[in-house]
Amino acid sequence: MARQVTVPSTRERASAHDADPAPAAARTPRRARSLLDGWGFLVVPLVAFLLVVFVLPLAFVLTQSFTEPEPGLQNYTDFFGSPVYLDVLANTFWIAGMVTVATVALGFPYAYLMTLAGPFWRGVLMVAVLVPFWTSLLIRTFAWVLMLSDTGVINTVLRDIGVITEPLPLLRNLTGVLIGMSQVMLPFAVLPMYATMRGVDRRLVQAAEGLGATPLQAFWRVYAPLTAPGVAAATLLVFVASLGFYVTPALLGGPGDVMIGELIAKQLSGVLRWGFASALAVALLVVTGLLLALVARFVDLRRMLGGAR
Amino acid sequence: MRHTRHVVSAAIVAAGMLGVAACGGGGGPAGAAGAKELTVVMWGGEDQKTHVRDAIEPWAKQNNVNLKQDEPSDYAKFQTQVESGKVSWDLVEVEPHFATKACKNGWAEKLDKTKIDTSLVKAELTGECAVPVLEYAFTIGYNSDVYSAENHPRTWAEFFDTQKFPGKRGFWKDATGAIFEAALIADGVAPDQLYPLDLDRAFRKLDTIKKDIVWYDSGAMQQELVSSGETPLIQAWNGRIYRAATAGRPAAQEWNQHILSYDQLVIPHGSENATTAQDWIGWYLKNPEAQAAYSNDTGYGPVSDAAMQHIKPEVATELPSSPQNAGKRSTIMNYTYWEQNYEDVTQRLEEWRAR
Repeated sequence: MARQVTVPSTRERASAHDADPAPAAARTPRRARSLLDGWGFLVVPLVAFLLVVFVLPLAFVLTQSFTEPEPGLQNYTDFFGSPVYLDVLANTFWIAGMVTVATVALGFPYAYLMTLAGPFWRGVLMVAVLVPFWTSLLIRTFAWVLMLSDTGVINTVLRDIGVITEPLPLLRNLTGVLIGMSQVMLPFAVLPMYATMRGVDRRLVQAAEGLGATPLQAFWRVYAPLTAPGVAAATLLVFVASLGFYVTPALLGGPGDVMIGELIAKQLSGVLRWGFASALAVALLVVTGLLLALVARFVDLRRMLGGAR
Repeated sequence: MRHTRHVVSAAIVAAGMLGVAACGGGGGPAGAAGAKELTVVMWGGEDQKTHVRDAIEPWAKQNNVNLKQDEPSDYAKFQTQVESGKVSWDLVEVEPHFATKACKNGWAEKLDKTKIDTSLVKAELTGECAVPVLEYAFTIGYNSDVYSAENHPRTWAEFFDTQKFPGKRGFWKDATGAIFEAALIADGVAPDQLYPLDLDRAFRKLDTIKKDIVWYDSGAMQQELVSSGETPLIQAWNGRIYRAATAGRPAAQEWNQHILSYDQLVIPHGSENATTAQDWIGWYLKNPEAQAAYSNDTGYGPVSDAAMQHIKPEVATELPSSPQNAGKRSTIMNYTYWEQNYEDVTQRLEEWRAR
């Protein structure tokens, strides 16, 4: 430590001469050196992999949306020309947003409980959230149909014990979609939040309480902000992954709950309109990107996700 | 930064598990070297199992062909395989509108008339590249606890009458699911005057029951919808209702005004085992017993009249081609019309559904 104070490192000297000692500029020499130290090449397979399985297909999809069936903007004018597609796109974001709120709200206390539990119960909680994850999506969705339908388990039980006389509308509507999708997405919310919470030094909470904070104050003003990176990661992961759903809303939702993924699948496998399907996919991607960029203007995403120091 | 590492590792774990979840299925047993191979693709589920067991396996054993399966049929994959020249499917069950389109576009092999005698099967179900694989009917299916043999809709007009017969209605989420045909017949169009379909009129009729429609996209879901009572009425595939009923579930069907349809088999252009596939088709058409075996197990109609004599008596009354039911047919799906209009009508249907 003392050495660092008296003898400034190369990095610090470089930034001292720099007109704008921004963190990014300061890090550049270090990054260059770390690439040269011989381990940087390990990233080459990943870059190549991403290039082949992600960047190229994406470029292909983008091209195709302008060239199939004939060059031009036809696919996009079709898309914007019909209010249905914009509605479905908006609906997709709306559903994904609600699923995100639901899973983060449910997942936060669950993850917190996992940090408090002993090893055995933590294991049980972990398995409970993961086991449904390893069952087939279709089977799980059909299981929800059996649970939620008018003559399903929930409505039958409620009717038998006299809580309701008419069945609750739980299926073929937004409720069904939210329940089904939230269950699928719960692990994506719980895992990052749990990982962050496990890293929080609980002595900080004790210190806050020792300094006079009530338990609630200590929780909200000390503990909660420290878990923000986990919450942000969970929110992003769940939201973006939810945008692509289509099997669950198709089976559990009603007529108004069509998501864009279902339309894309139909355009491809049903009617072979590759260009239009590509245009729908590009529209989803662009709007998602714009939305994240908009969020990034107000929230420092990099900091939230722990990317900056 | 511990946070960073944890977030990243958690995300990687989550993504990894997603990958595992997505990688189910696929991949069959490796074929014996030198033996002939045939990869059969159908719609999957019970139907595919039964079909392969009853109609293809006996032939494969006789001829020492190593049989493989994939599922379900997918037109985008079909097109991609043919256009990229990497065809891994040899015999694919498709809807006739796609069979005709594939034939026109050169995506499907022409039938080898030296091996295949198409005069053995029903002419109205056969194409230049395609042979029929089964015949089925869209019937009025109903839950027999909610409705009864005496009291249930007997016409499509009654099926659309939610005053007289309350409850949700199930429909197949496909433009060729006979939904437009049924709507127009219900609205008073004579069955022999259906085509070209008056879509505006059909949608107007469908609007009247839109809030009562539940869509299905598989046979299993169809059986579940009707026998659970969620949709006491359903525009059904006859074989699915038949099997639900024989399994003791409360499902029954009305044959009056049924709409006949069929599926076809095609060979993707460029299939390495095209000759083997042609061999099987030739054998299948010459073997009414094999056609009947599948019908006996499923309640779907055989593709030739000759097969009818091999049908069990208790199944015979449940087939579209039986003497009791054949007279109740309102129309047969016109796949010439659908070959030309499938894309546009699908587009309209999707937009109407999402509205």
